[in-house]
Amino acid sequence: MGLQPTYEPPKMAVKLLSLVCKNDLFEEIEGDLYEYYQGKRKEKSKPVANLYYWFHMLNFLRPFAIKKLGQNSNTIIMCRSYFKFTWRGMLRQKLQTSFHLLGLIVAFCVCGFIYSHIKYESSYDSFLDNADDIYRVAWMNENPQTRTPHPMAQALVNDFPEVIDAVSISPIYGPGLTKTTIPLRNEKREVGFNEPNGYFADSTFFDVFSFKAVEGNPDKALRKPFGIILSESMAKRYFGDEEAVGQMLSFMGNPDMLEVAAVIEDAPKNSHFHYNFLISYVTLKSLQFNDPWMSWDDFGHFNYLKLAPGTDAKAFEAKIPDWAPKYLDWGEESLASLKAGDLKFELQPVQSIHLHSNIRWELEANGSYSYLLIYGISALFILLISIINFVNLNTAKAAQRLKEVGVKKTLGAYKSQVFSQFIFEALFTTFLALVLSFVAMYMLEAPFNQLVNGNISFADLYQTDVILLLLSITIVTALLSAIYPSFYLNSFEAGQILKGLKLSKLGGNNVRNGLLAVQLIAAIVMISGSLVIKHQITFLKEKDLGFKQDNLMVLEVDGYDPRTKLVKTELLKNSAVTGATAVSNIPGGQFNQHPIYAENNPSERVDASEMFVDDDVAEVLGLKVLEGRMLSKAYAADSAGRSFVLNQSAINQLNLTDPIGKQLVWEDNENLVKGTIVGTVEDFHFRSLHEPIRPMIMLMQPLNSNFMLVKVNPTDLSQTISKIEADYKEVIADGQFSYQFLDTEIQDLYKEESRTLTLITLLSAISILLACGGLLGIISIVIKQRVKEISIRKIMGASASQILWLMNFKYLLIAGISLLIAVPVSVYFMKDWLSNFTYQIGIDPLAYVLTAIAVLFLIGFTITLISMKTVKSNPVNALRSE
Amino acid sequence: MKGTQLGEFEELVLLVVGVLFPEAYGLNIREEIINQTKRKVAIGAVHSALSRLDEKGFLESELAEGTHERGGRRKRLFKITASGKQALEKNHELRNSLFSQIPEMALKIV
Repeated sequence: MGLQPTYEPPKMAVKLLSLVCKNDLFEEIEGDLYEYYQGKRKEKSKPVANLYYWFHMLNFLRPFAIKKLGQNSNTIIMCRSYFKFTWRGMLRQKLQTSFHLLGLIVAFCVCGFIYSHIKYESSYDSFLDNADDIYRVAWMNENPQTRTPHPMAQALVNDFPEVIDAVSISPIYGPGLTKTTIPLRNEKREVGFNEPNGYFADSTFFDVFSFKAVEGNPDKALRKPFGIILSESMAKRYFGDEEAVGQMLSFMGNPDMLEVAAVIEDAPKNSHFHYNFLISYVTLKSLQFNDPWMSWDDFGHFNYLKLAPGTDAKAFEAKIPDWAPKYLDWGEESLASLKAGDLKFELQPVQSIHLHSNIRWELEANGSYSYLLIYGISALFILLISIINFVNLNTAKAAQRLKEVGVKKTLGAYKSQVFSQFIFEALFTTFLALVLSFVAMYMLEAPFNQLVNGNISFADLYQTDVILLLLSITIVTALLSAIYPSFYLNSFEAGQILKGLKLSKLGGNNVRNGLLAVQLIAAIVMISGSLVIKHQITFLKEKDLGFKQDNLMVLEVDGYDPRTKLVKTELLKNSAVTGATAVSNIPGGQFNQHPIYAENNPSERVDASEMFVDDDVAEVLGLKVLEGRMLSKAYAADSAGRSFVLNQSAINQLNLTDPIGKQLVWEDNENLVKGTIVGTVEDFHFRSLHEPIRPMIMLMQPLNSNFMLVKVNPTDLSQTISKIEADYKEVIADGQFSYQFLDTEIQDLYKEESRTLTLITLLSAISILLACGGLLGIISIVIKQRVKEISIRKIMGASASQILWLMNFKYLLIAGISLLIAVPVSVYFMKDWLSNFTYQIGIDPLAYVLTAIAVLFLIGFTITLISMKTVKSNPVNALRSE
Repeated sequence: MKGTQLGEFEELVLLVVGVLFPEAYGLNIREEIINQTKRKVAIGAVHSALSRLDEKGFLESELAEGTHERGGRRKRLFKITASGKQALEKNHELRNSLFSQIPEMALKIV
């Protein structure tokens, strides 16, 4: 019979069908499709027929035709049984299971949180386009600073092809370099605020910083005199939903002086500075503002550069000392030290500013790398402790499952199947913990942020790298905990096991004890570390600062307003006010500085922070006058700003003996102020304790007052405050009354420390609890193995204390060895950490004694607690059945 | 109770199985449906209905010899069972009885 050749349908489709289709339906279905294909091929071209075939094949992907999962698959059936075993095992030992899960969940949560915190802190400024090529020019001398001369930015662009763009910015400072607030007002809507975070900026601002425009053209805006650029949120506050561009704002009481030229997005949270509004330097220059502030002499601006991609910043930095003298009008000596590298312009990568730069006049308080390191190490320690717990408990449990493995083997299980069951169980637990930890993190996000004053968001955790990291940790943990028991149990013959093999000893004791020691070392390092940190931070918070910070209200005032003096007299009438003084800067804040030198010795120049003060500053702040007198309006020279009071450091650094009456020159930029030293005060910490006390000069310039320090009686504080507000409003009806307390302001300087203290205390508590919990688990298993031994000892006459000592001895020994290893490690690292501080309390040996006692006690307590039941029970019960 | 209901498409398939007796199998059932009703039907849909009818006991089937145009694969031939016949009759009667109850007026005004 001459059969016609048939057409072959697309192979892929047939293959796919055979994979998914039920076996008993496959033949008829494939046959129908085959026959159908023959018909189609006779009518249509091959590709079209193929398409039809595919269409109908895919149409078979319906429940009735698709293979049921596990219909005939051994693997799936086995997995189901593994799951059953796992589930039943977990339910049988609820306490142990929940401890396993809890430990892993805590560790995963801690790691997740700390990871995202670290990630957030190190993400600063990475949102900028070309962030890798943007640098800030800092000035490095013995007291490094962020600020450099204004013309430098443009000069660098002009002279070096490597510098593509540069911008000079400066916060709008008030007198004495306090970041000031500017009264701005929208007259039309009658909305006005004291607006902080205003910046002067070059027209090149947006060439360097890629902040996006929301309205208007920001590039043009910065070229226009009397234009102002607002942040989006600020525009909302002043103009609501109206279009802001083209509208007018009043500036410091000058009606409608500025025109809104553009609105730009708010700087992201992880920016090292935040602006509310920008005003161009062009506006300043158009005012014929011939201030030396804009010259090469004044290191008073923040200069940022954008280098060409691939430029070696260090190599470029090295070119600056040869280039700068062409602009700097300096003496030979200074230029020589610039060349020698004692003085240096340094390029700071913009992304490292937040974590690595902590020099004078940072735009905002920066983070600290060393604290992040502490967080990271603590999180790793907790993870390590938790993983060891899981591994240790799982291996210790192995002996309990000997019979199960025996039966399985008799029924024909391969070694690999025993192994995969253990793996499955471990994976199941760890994955369950992982999932639950995500739930926990979701719920704990807000409390955690509150606790550490952080900015992490749960959404950050849904990143590929985080998930991959956690997944790999999960899998490795599971593998580690499953490998030992499965190999160990696999090593016995099935018959041997069922005949009644008794494990005289739990295998792997050495490994387990070693891991236990590692856990304890981690916990001890953390506890002792947190004690040292606690000492240091308490020391910082409680150190005598050399002035009295309690019950001091800080009011914002304007020295140029003649009514400010009246405020003081009015306030002093209040019986609850025991003193008031107007100053330019408050302790803990920023201070401006200029060089001073004795008139007869101009070569000995010292940079001194300056504070413009009023009559009563010494009484209000509780400063100690060492020699001479404080300033007073009673002396004409004092009022004219030609009498100076110096602190002890200034006297020492100027090498002055018998300073009272000596002539001193205060170099206020180009304006040399000559005056007499009339008094000296004892050093006080006018900056945070992160910095040493530097020279300070006090003089009177009443116009430059920014704050009124008001000493109040702490009883009935709220009433006093409202009285003070009423008094203030009575004198300055149109003013904004705002106040703070000096001690809270000063506490704010140590925010980072407080956060670290809370976190590290929490983390070290978790670490020791986890370590003890793990120990508890192991001991309870070990003790079950030794019930008979203990009972025999009791019968032979051992006392309870002897038996307890026997149980405790080995673990106390391990703890002792761990202490011997951990203490030097901790001392080494804490010394290193303490060296970051100018004022250190040093390492108190008591911290280590306390840690040792606490650890030994906790271990002894744990073991005794768990052994008591066995020790107390009647030995007959344990011995009567064999 | 499962097995008592006969869906619209299932009924159609069941009828066609009867029409094509004794040579009813997936592909020619589909062709017959397309020819008689002008509906577009996928092969999978027919098989799905057949397997449901089989489950409900309205159809029985046996495998026939493979043929050349099927590349040697056997086909499954379907026959209506007694309960299938019952179900068809029940549906048929129900319709007839309902149709006869429609008053003439109702059909006239349409």
